[in-house]
Amino acid sequence: MESIRKLSFQTSQFFSFVSKNQILLMSLLFMSMIFFSLLAITFGSYGLSIVDFLLGKTSDIQNTVLTEIRLPRVILSGLAGASLGISGAALQGLFRNPLADPGLIGVSAGAALGATLMIVLGGDIFSQYSLGVFFIPLAAIAGSSLVILMLYFMTKGFGYEGVTYMLLVGIAINAIAGVGIGILTYISSDSELRSLTFWTMGSFGGVTWPLLIPVILIIALAIIIMIPYSRQLDLLQLGEPEAFRLGVDVQKLKYTIILTCAASVGASVALSGMIGFVGLIVPHLTRLLGGVNHNYVLPGSALMGAALMIIADLIARIIIQPAELPIGLITSAIGSPFFLWLIFKIKKL
Amino acid sequence: MTISAKSISLELGGKKILNNISMDVRPGEILSIIGPNGAGKTSLLNVLSGNIKSHNGNVSYNNTPLESISIQERAYIRSVMSQFQSIAFDYSVEDILQMGWLDHSHKDIKEDLSAFQNQVIKECDMENLIHQKFNTLSGGEQRRVHFARTLLQLWQPANTKDQNYLLLDEPFSNLDLVHKVKMMESIKAKASSGTGILMILHDLNLAYSFSDKILLLKNGRVIEQGETKKMLSARLLARAYETFISIDENPINIRYY
Repeated sequence: MESIRKLSFQTSQFFSFVSKNQILLMSLLFMSMIFFSLLAITFGSYGLSIVDFLLGKTSDIQNTVLTEIRLPRVILSGLAGASLGISGAALQGLFRNPLADPGLIGVSAGAALGATLMIVLGGDIFSQYSLGVFFIPLAAIAGSSLVILMLYFMTKGFGYEGVTYMLLVGIAINAIAGVGIGILTYISSDSELRSLTFWTMGSFGGVTWPLLIPVILIIALAIIIMIPYSRQLDLLQLGEPEAFRLGVDVQKLKYTIILTCAASVGASVALSGMIGFVGLIVPHLTRLLGGVNHNYVLPGSALMGAALMIIADLIARIIIQPAELPIGLITSAIGSPFFLWLIFKIKKL
Repeated sequence: MTISAKSISLELGGKKILNNISMDVRPGEILSIIGPNGAGKTSLLNVLSGNIKSHNGNVSYNNTPLESISIQERAYIRSVMSQFQSIAFDYSVEDILQMGWLDHSHKDIKEDLSAFQNQVIKECDMENLIHQKFNTLSGGEQRRVHFARTLLQLWQPANTKDQNYLLLDEPFSNLDLVHKVKMMESIKAKASSGTGILMILHDLNLAYSFSDKILLLKNGRVIEQGETKKMLSARLLARAYETFISIDENPINIRYY
C-alpha cells in the first residue's frame, strides 16, 4: 500500500484519461503543423524549394534566406502559437473561466511593457554581457508574472464568481501597459524600438537565431512542465476544496501554472509582440473538436496554436506581396467577433 | 483506527465557529451531525477533511496526526462529498465520475477502473446519465454523480483493506424518495464493509432512523453526542433548535423498500 501512495499521480495517469479519438486528433494536428511549416518555408516573396535544399541544389543566397530568415520565422510563429494556445487553455482551466486569454486579461501587455522597458532603459546592457540576449525575454516574463500575480490577488484566488471582475482588471492592466509602452515609445529613439505597431499588432519578421534560441528553450521547458499537470487541472474544475480532497496540492498547482504561463507568454511576446485572441480561440476550437479534458486540451491547444499561427503568418506574408499584413491584425479580425459570439453563448447558459 | 478530533477550536474573522470539540468517526459506524443552521457543522467537516486548519486541537487519521499525512495520501483515506458549485466546461458525467479515480500504481488500471466504475454506476442508478453532459443534469442527478465519485475514490486493490472513511455534507438534498433510499442503502453497505461514515443531516427522522451515533451541535459546541437511542430526547432537541419538538412512535409505518 505504501508504494501506491508514493506515486505521483500527475504523470502516471496521463494516458489513462485520453481517448483514442483524442490521440488521433493530436496526431492529425501534429501532421498539419509539419505540413504547414513546409508550406511556410517554401512560399514567400522569395521562391524556395525544400527538395532542392535537401539535394544541395540551392544557391548560397537561397540557403541564407532559408536558414537565416524563413526557418527562424516559421519556428517563431509556431512557438508563439503553441505558447499562446497552451497558456490560454491552462489559464482558462486555472481560472475556471472560458474567457481567460493571455491577451484579454493583460498578461501579454505586461510582457510587452517589460520587454519595452528593457529595450529602452537597458539599451546598453545587451552588448556588454554574453547572456544579454536573455534579458529581453526575462524582462517580458517578469512583466507577465507580475500581471498574473496581480490578477491572482485581486480576484482572491481565481474564484469562479470573479469572471467579470477579472476581465475588468484585465482592461485596466491593458490600459496601464498601453500608456507605459506609449511613453517609452515617445522617449525612445527610432533605433531602440522597431515601432509601436510591432508591440500592438505583433510580427514574426526580423528574428535571428541568437534571439530565438533562448525563447525556444524557455517555451519548450514551460510546455514540458505544464502538460503533466493536466489531470490536476481537471480535478480543479470541481472547485479548490474538492481538488484538495482528491489529493491535489492546489497551491503548488496554481503557482506552477502561473509561472509556466507567464514564462511562455513572456518569451513569445518578447520576440513577436502582442498577438491577440489566439489564447482564446485556440483552446475553444480544440475543445469543440475533441473534448474538454486537459490531458487532451493542453497538448492539443499547443499543436493547434502552432499549426494555425504558422499558416496565418504565411497568409500575412503572401496576401499583399511584397508588403505584409501585421499578424495581430489577422488574429484580432478573426478573434474579436469570436469573442462576442462566446460572450453571447455563455450568457445563454 | 479512527478519524479523531481532539479539542478543536476554530475562529473565522473574529467569530468563534467551533469551540473545544472532540469526536471520533469509527470504522463501520454511521455518525450523523445534526444541529440548527450556523451551528458549525460544515466547518467541522472541513476541519476533519483537512481543508481548514483549526486554531487549537488536532485531527488524526488512524492514529497519525493529519499534518504528517501528505495531501495526496489523505485522498486514499477519506473521500468527501460537499455542496457544489457549477462547472465551467462541458465535462461528461463519465469524466466527472472518473475524477474520483485516484492513482493506483498497477498495470491493469483500465480494467479495474471500468469494472468498479460499472459497479458504482449500477449502484447509483446512473446507466442513463453516464454519457450526458454533466451541466445538463438536474440538481438531484448531479448529487448522485458526485456521490458515485466519492465511492470511486475509495476503491482499493483486491488484496488491500486499509481503513477508510466517507464524509458527506447533506448527501440527500434535492434527491427524490427512491434515490434517497438507494443512496442510504449504499451508505449502509459501505459502513458494514468497514468504512467509517460521517454525515451532516437536516432531516431528523432520517438521522435517527439510519445512524448508529448522533452528534448534536449548536453555536459551535457539542451539546451532546452518543448512541442514537440515548440521543432520542425531545428535551435535548428542543434545547438545540429552540422550538417545541415532540417525538412520537410513528402509528402508520410507511416503508419505502
